[in-house]
Amino acid sequence: MVKFTLNGLEVEVEEGTTILEAARFFGFPIPTLCYNEALSPYGACRLCVVEIGEGPKAKLVSSCTYRVEEGLKVRTASERVIKARKMVIELLLASCPQSKIIQDLASAHDVRRQRFKQEYEDCILCGLCVRMCEEQMMAKAIGFRERGERRSIGTPFDIKSEECRLCGGCIYICPACQLRCTYTEPEEAICGGCANISVPCVEKEQFDDMMCYMEPCVACEIIDSEK
Amino acid sequence: MDKLNSIEDLSELRARLEADKELNEELQIPTIVIPAGTCGQASGANDLIRVTKREILERDLAGRINLCITGCNGYCQMEPLVLVEPYGYFYPRVSLEEMVRIVEATALGEAAEALLIEDSETGEPIRNRSEIPFFKKQVRTLLAKNENIDPIRIYNYIENGGYSALAKTLEKSDTNWVIEEVERSGIRGRGGAGFPTGLKWRLLSKQPNGGGKYIVCNADEGDPGAYMDRSVLEGNPHSIIEGMLICAYGTGATEGVIYVRNEYPLAIKHLIIALRQAYELGLLGENILGTGFSFDIEIVRGAGAFVCGEETALIKSVEGFMGEPRQRPPYPIEKGIWGRPTCINNVETLANIPIIINRGGAEYAKIGVPGNTGTKIFSLVGKIKNTGLVEVPLGIKIGEVVYDIGGGPVGKAKIKAVQTGGPSGGCIPASMFDLSIDYDSLAEVGSIMGSGGMIVMDDSTCMVDVAKYFMNLLKDESCGKCFTCRKGTQRMYEILDDITKGNGTLDDLEILEELAEVVLDTTMCALGQTASNPVLSTLRYFRHEYERHIVDKRCDAGVCKDLVGAPCQAACPLGTEAWRYIALIEKGDYEEAYRIIREPNPFPSVCARVCHHPCEDKCRSGTTGDEPISIRALKRYVTDTVDPEVYKRPFVPADDEAAKVAVIGSGPAGLTAAHYLSREGYKVTVYEADEKPGGMLVSAIPAYRLPRKVLTKEIDSLLNENVNIELNTALGSDITIETLFKDGYSAVFVATGAHRSRGLDIEGEEADGVYPAMAFLKAFNLREESLARGRVGVIGGGNSAVDAARVALRQKDVESVTIYYRRTRDEMPAYHEEIEGALEEGVGLETLVSPVRVVKNKGKLERVRFIKNELGDRDNSGRRRPVPVEGSEFDVTLDTLIVAISEEPDTDMLTDTGVEISKWGTLEVDEKTVATNVRGVFAGGDVVSGPNTVVEAIAAGKKAAEVIGRYLRGEELRVPPEVSLPEVYIEPAAVPDDEPAEAYRVSPPVAPVESRSKGFDEVELALSEDNARHEARRCLRCDLEFTQVEEVELAASAEES
Repeated sequence: MVKFTLNGLEVEVEEGTTILEAARFFGFPIPTLCYNEALSPYGACRLCVVEIGEGPKAKLVSSCTYRVEEGLKVRTASERVIKARKMVIELLLASCPQSKIIQDLASAHDVRRQRFKQEYEDCILCGLCVRMCEEQMMAKAIGFRERGERRSIGTPFDIKSEECRLCGGCIYICPACQLRCTYTEPEEAICGGCANISVPCVEKEQFDDMMCYMEPCVACEIIDSEK
Repeated sequence: MDKLNSIEDLSELRARLEADKELNEELQIPTIVIPAGTCGQASGANDLIRVTKREILERDLAGRINLCITGCNGYCQMEPLVLVEPYGYFYPRVSLEEMVRIVEATALGEAAEALLIEDSETGEPIRNRSEIPFFKKQVRTLLAKNENIDPIRIYNYIENGGYSALAKTLEKSDTNWVIEEVERSGIRGRGGAGFPTGLKWRLLSKQPNGGGKYIVCNADEGDPGAYMDRSVLEGNPHSIIEGMLICAYGTGATEGVIYVRNEYPLAIKHLIIALRQAYELGLLGENILGTGFSFDIEIVRGAGAFVCGEETALIKSVEGFMGEPRQRPPYPIEKGIWGRPTCINNVETLANIPIIINRGGAEYAKIGVPGNTGTKIFSLVGKIKNTGLVEVPLGIKIGEVVYDIGGGPVGKAKIKAVQTGGPSGGCIPASMFDLSIDYDSLAEVGSIMGSGGMIVMDDSTCMVDVAKYFMNLLKDESCGKCFTCRKGTQRMYEILDDITKGNGTLDDLEILEELAEVVLDTTMCALGQTASNPVLSTLRYFRHEYERHIVDKRCDAGVCKDLVGAPCQAACPLGTEAWRYIALIEKGDYEEAYRIIREPNPFPSVCARVCHHPCEDKCRSGTTGDEPISIRALKRYVTDTVDPEVYKRPFVPADDEAAKVAVIGSGPAGLTAAHYLSREGYKVTVYEADEKPGGMLVSAIPAYRLPRKVLTKEIDSLLNENVNIELNTALGSDITIETLFKDGYSAVFVATGAHRSRGLDIEGEEADGVYPAMAFLKAFNLREESLARGRVGVIGGGNSAVDAARVALRQKDVESVTIYYRRTRDEMPAYHEEIEGALEEGVGLETLVSPVRVVKNKGKLERVRFIKNELGDRDNSGRRRPVPVEGSEFDVTLDTLIVAISEEPDTDMLTDTGVEISKWGTLEVDEKTVATNVRGVFAGGDVVSGPNTVVEAIAAGKKAAEVIGRYLRGEELRVPPEVSLPEVYIEPAAVPDDEPAEAYRVSPPVAPVESRSKGFDEVELALSEDNARHEARRCLRCDLEFTQVEEVELAASAEES
């Protein structure tokens, strides 16, 4: 067992526990975006940062990847943390304003403006889909490509992977791309899972080998409302 | 190669090799050393090697001259270079023909005198390389080895003491000794973060050795402009292998990896050869030197991602995955490559290890300063005379590296900052060059040591652009995993890009700072955590440059294209479209050229003669290595050729209702303001204290530079019925600001100039025969009184000193004239051509002297006591301070002494008027509106700026006219800034096939010394028409980049359709 201080509270957790897990266990909320209990932590979105250490050595770390250490002092909502978190949300909002999850985050954290040039991206590169595909679906059909500004998710040379079973897991877990399942361009969809061809999912027989994870699926809602 | 089976085998081999070497020395066989690292090869070293080999064979010199091909020796500026040992001859920038001469001379045991490197100050050849200033302050423990080791010959390395540190280590059975020795040396990681190497090794040695431990040599050198590691890899690969072996022995590591970027093919080649040789000799592999110790090294080539220099990303890359950092802890020392303990050291750190072991840790620790021991190689590049690799002890001052080793700025430029640590580092301003170069001091000022890049920047470097450049690199090189690093760098780049395009706002600076701090705070690895440094450090030290871009839409360095347009136009305080009239001259349309010159400038003929032509300083033809266009001479040609009448503007006579403006001072600022106000229909009265209008133009500038006929004509052309000049009317005694307002003037423009010469502040200064320069010049220029007689001394180094000297020389009772200046000639602020002209005419020049006392005889000047100076430390401007040499006083008998050290405004008459005056005696005005604190009173020209140039005064007058106009109309005073980019398209000159590719600057002719030095005829003459048009053809036409765009687009769209 490891003893440490969480927001001034002396607590004890099992060795190997991450700060995020511990904080959630003790009831301190930490927002996350690229984290999923069923997947290995990755630390990409930086939303879950917390402050550790004291004085000039204090620093921010991503709580999902940082394991608690004996005697560690953790603050999950210090001024510095809040400031950073708000900026992260502002940047997310500037890139991907149409995501409901991001909109909710902004509203929950009182981010009411974004000062950057507005973009409309459908991917924040959180990597949930990549981990889902690899760790839960055992497929490794998609991955990261390039770096920096050009970083994207897909398959090598954009050739559809033979490993892909069109399971749709990637879309199910995506926090940003609800848009993607309503694509009218099938080739732009990541795995072609429940990519909509004309009105999606209508001609079910075409997608017999396909499982749909979307709940509720936008397409299904449309179809339901038309009935 | 026979395998060495014991440490004794190695010693025997070394003894054999050393005996050969000694024999060579006894026979005095010279060695020609040709450095052929990547830099040397790029500048032609391979051809030199070929020529040398051919010459040695043809002349049958084999055995009488040795040839040694080595890695980079550091003085990259002088490549391809040749060294001849043991004499220490240094031949810079050797051509193929010169190489033949060097071989010839070397065969005779002589130096090729004419080809030796020269002292840049005296022009004398330097006979030994240790005397070269570039090398003097360096401590070259690593780089010196590059000079005598052929990197592809292991015997060469062993002969020079190679692998002796390994032998020494293997002889100790106590592995802990190695670590202790390294700890004692105090060496810190040379990769940039400065983690103590000994501690790292100790941590590794404590790790369990289950499935092996790794040592990695990090040779992923990615900083722009940094090549330290490359030079060591290429020039001395065995030192790295030896360093890794010693580390492995001390820590129990079994596997070695050299992670080197694929962009370093020569380094990889040399490493492969070195590894093969080491394996063959039994220095690597199983049972090394029969001691039972085993170690393997493999090379892993990186694809060149900047982030792979970060240790956790490097490990991923070695494992074959995408180079992405991960969370630490666990640190690589616990869980590194394939989960095994891994120790990652920089190339330079490892190369230092054999030196530490050989010398002993304690001895090594004596280099440098406590806490920062040893030497560090820096890659000194940028706007500096000597570029190259320099190795200096830590703790040396930045200024020493930049000025003493680097040789200071190129030409007359002023160094403004140095950037250390590459994209993760920061910019350190010149005012902090006293800072010691060590890990902690650099971090304190917001930069980092980094791997050792040192980019020098001068006044033609825009700091916003620098930040933008690094941010552009980082946004591409961020791995992209952390959202804040990927998006943050991209957003910072966007904001910086906006600012450089003139679209920034002051709010942007706040966002930029806020964002930079969050990026620094919330990213996982060092790349993100330092990515903000270029932005934060430039914002910290050069915020005014950002503000200048945002508020005034100006880039003073002339870099940001969208704000600068054509550099000549941007550099001109009046915004004269120099490119445009030059293009018109080329076409032969001189009248239109005159109109272009006259439109922004009411004093075209004056400026054509006495302007300090900032346009030429920024001319791209000059800044890109050629000579600038003679823009002033071209202007002179036009103003001399064309009748000013071709420039006409409709004139609005002032009606009775028109507001009245008083202008005090009839210098260029005052007259310009009066002219532009009169054009707007205001009634202007100009008050002049002296007997002639023109201010400094008439009272200070001698007629041989500015003929009075030209000046009078130009002044007359500015007068009309709206302007009235009152001469001999001084502010304070004849008029006051109060009376002017009472007399119905609505606004007052004070442009009284800076007419008071500053005194020397020494004993006896009040003696008869000692004159302030301004009084001396005024007496002659306004009243034709010649005050100088006999032997004349002039104190000072500025333009008024030179003017006074040349005027004195032309006065009839004068025997001789000498200028006494406290610094050296290079530092004289006067225009180069003026100093040159004065010396030609026979004016003497004594430099490095200061007056200490005026010796009087019956109240009259008899002699002046001077003291000699020597150059001491550098001041903030990078110039070395003159320091008096004790006991070096000497007397000079003089009949006249003219004091011309500086001028200042005489604002005593304004002290009680409520107008705010600074402690320098200048008037305080709002920079943007030239308004003083008293309503309706504006000021400009030298009275505000202190002594300044004519064109700046005209610009001040122009601005005042605009602001006063706004004031009178009750508008917002501030003139909104606007960017003026070239707009008019003028077809470029057609270039005939037979036109020679080379063209040289045409300088205006000058009158011969004999005919000019006694009279006041103009010294500089006009260009001929042919010369003018030829010179105009040289113009690079920077404007076309802006005006031709549409044409290109049109052509493109035409092609498409």
